[in-house]
Amino acid sequence: MTDALKLLLLFAFLSATTVAVFIVVAWSTRLPSREQSEVQHDGYVIRGRWFIGVTLFLLATFVVTVPFFPYLSAAAALEPAEKVPVIAAQFFFTMPDHFPLNRRILFEVTSRDVNHGFGIYDPKGQIIAQTQAMPDYVNYLAVTFHQPGHYKVRCLEYCGVGHAIMEKDFTVGNDDTGSSENGKAANPGANKESNNGNTNGSSNPFE
Amino acid sequence: MEAATHSNKSSTGWRVMKLYLHSGLGLTALMLLVGLVIRAAQANWVPALSPGNFYALLTLHGAGMLVGLLLCGMGGLWFLMRRHIHLSAPLAVLAWGFIMLGVVGVLVATVFGHFAGLYTFLYPMPFDGNWPSWATGVFLISMVLVNIGWMIWCFQMLGAVLRAYSGLRGALGWDFVWHPKAFLAAGRQPPPPEAFPALVAGLDGLVAGMVAMLLGMALLVRWLDPRVLIDPLWAKNLTYFFAHTLANLIIYMLAALIYVGLPYATKRTYHTSTVLVIGWWSSLVFILTNYFHHLYMDFVQPGILQYLGELSSYLTAVPVTAVTIFSALMLVWRSRTRWTLGAIFFYSGLVGWVVGGIGAEIDASVPFNVHLHNTLWVPAHFHTYLLGGCLLFVLGWVFLLLESRSRRNTPDLVRWLIGTLVFGGMIVFLMGFYFGGALGVPRRYATETMPGPLLAQIATVGAVIMLVGFILVFVEGLRLRRNYQADRPLWPEELINQPHEE
Repeated sequence: MTDALKLLLLFAFLSATTVAVFIVVAWSTRLPSREQSEVQHDGYVIRGRWFIGVTLFLLATFVVTVPFFPYLSAAAALEPAEKVPVIAAQFFFTMPDHFPLNRRILFEVTSRDVNHGFGIYDPKGQIIAQTQAMPDYVNYLAVTFHQPGHYKVRCLEYCGVGHAIMEKDFTVGNDDTGSSENGKAANPGANKESNNGNTNGSSNPFE
Repeated sequence: MEAATHSNKSSTGWRVMKLYLHSGLGLTALMLLVGLVIRAAQANWVPALSPGNFYALLTLHGAGMLVGLLLCGMGGLWFLMRRHIHLSAPLAVLAWGFIMLGVVGVLVATVFGHFAGLYTFLYPMPFDGNWPSWATGVFLISMVLVNIGWMIWCFQMLGAVLRAYSGLRGALGWDFVWHPKAFLAAGRQPPPPEAFPALVAGLDGLVAGMVAMLLGMALLVRWLDPRVLIDPLWAKNLTYFFAHTLANLIIYMLAALIYVGLPYATKRTYHTSTVLVIGWWSSLVFILTNYFHHLYMDFVQPGILQYLGELSSYLTAVPVTAVTIFSALMLVWRSRTRWTLGAIFFYSGLVGWVVGGIGAEIDASVPFNVHLHNTLWVPAHFHTYLLGGCLLFVLGWVFLLLESRSRRNTPDLVRWLIGTLVFGGMIVFLMGFYFGGALGVPRRYATETMPGPLLAQIATVGAVIMLVGFILVFVEGLRLRRNYQADRPLWPEELINQPHEE
């Protein structure tokens, strides 16, 4: 099952449940009416349970999602990785064309002009990682490619009339040439701050 | 009674609401057509539209639609609150005037100046496009004018609410919640339900307005002097703080129409309760803190704000579902509701609010946001609650008013036809966004290269069906209006008693 299908199923299930509840409540108006005080008597009990239930569910969901956040700790940021500068500009990306398989890549993403998005699509066409490319800042995104093939980077932040054509193809394979010669870190002196993000196949919440 | 009704109908308050609703709905209708052109262009059905013009129209559509629905929310809430407290009509008209000036400016900047920096005008985008500099200036000044109008309205509403309910403590219902026995024993009454959206809109709206003014001034200085540089992260935070808060407040303001309209439709009553008050306290905070989810993919943003963003976005659902939505369901359950068009629109608007909220909550989950950020999932969820929520609330309100005075009823066949066209078309239109978002299709692409134009084509067909339904709604509204019964009291009857009428 693809990630897209899982997301749609989750959304469809929750939405269909909502619609079903509303239909049942609307249908109830065909039954003999009840005094509002009677409805409130039962309704307040259910509402109390709903309040506690939905609050606990949302808090639990928050706790469950935290390990999947893409933001790296300071220690994780120091793990060995091949640093790859990425410079976005209207309407192209300057970055290598090839990356090695199963090696941790630390993309150092910035922009030369306006805000851009740096979204990596795998060979199946699914977004596996993204960050923003901002002028004056560097966003660090760690990715380990586990699957060989043709990947694509698309701009995911509106950047002008050429936004829809701003993309970059690259390949991932066992041959690890291509990225190393471009693997110098971007000049951090030109940037105010930096922070890290991490994407690894094993940390995908869908898996 | 008849004289009072007549006087009420032609009252200043009534005219102010009509001014806001007519202009708001008119602008919304125009923007629906612009939206149709945009979606059809993504479907490759408008080859004559260049990318530059596409993005100019997208800018117009976004800004225009938000302002259109905002006007409806402002007018409706202002009218409801004027039944209880003193609100100056000239001040409301002044606010409307500023906003309309801004609307005209945005039209000029986008249609004639081809400004295409989008309604989010994310710095430095407004200064890096291929449109003339004057268009950028006109657009920014126009947005500042809209904001001035908005802030006048917020100042007026907040000031009047605070004056009428003995300051912030009284308006918040503090003693009503914490010392209920003493409060009621003293013969005091809490503010009516619609006073809480008014307080939240006034307070949060003013905070957002001041932030927007700061950003607007910074951008205007940059426009006048290109040597001036602005921190992009600072600008991004301010932009989304303002835009998200404003977009959020629209539906919270329209909740006031639910509090008054749904009890009428269900023939039941709705009063201020402790749960309602506490729910609005939490909304007061969450509306201001959940904008952080717009910056999840900005890893330079302080980490604590990302966690706060998710937590706040999640918890936003608690007061909405446990208070407003649940109360609405209790009002309808086993009631004697007559399912007129007004009641149908109100009720389906609640569905749109919840379903749009589900889409928003999924997107607000950071691990999912990695896959959905700035894809079509974003317009999917906000179209669901703006189109399927806010607009339906406004139509529900308008139709309840029309139905209450018309001697005609809407025939069953027409109701079914409208329901099928509007909701059927809307579902098809929205599913195009949701499918596209799940597949990772980026938003704001002039041409949808992946997975091809098919999704946009299906969505466009859905939009056309929905618009045909809205045309029928308009025609039916005119028919009801033509058959007004002069001596029939205007609903709700409380409107007759406007203590602060001038």
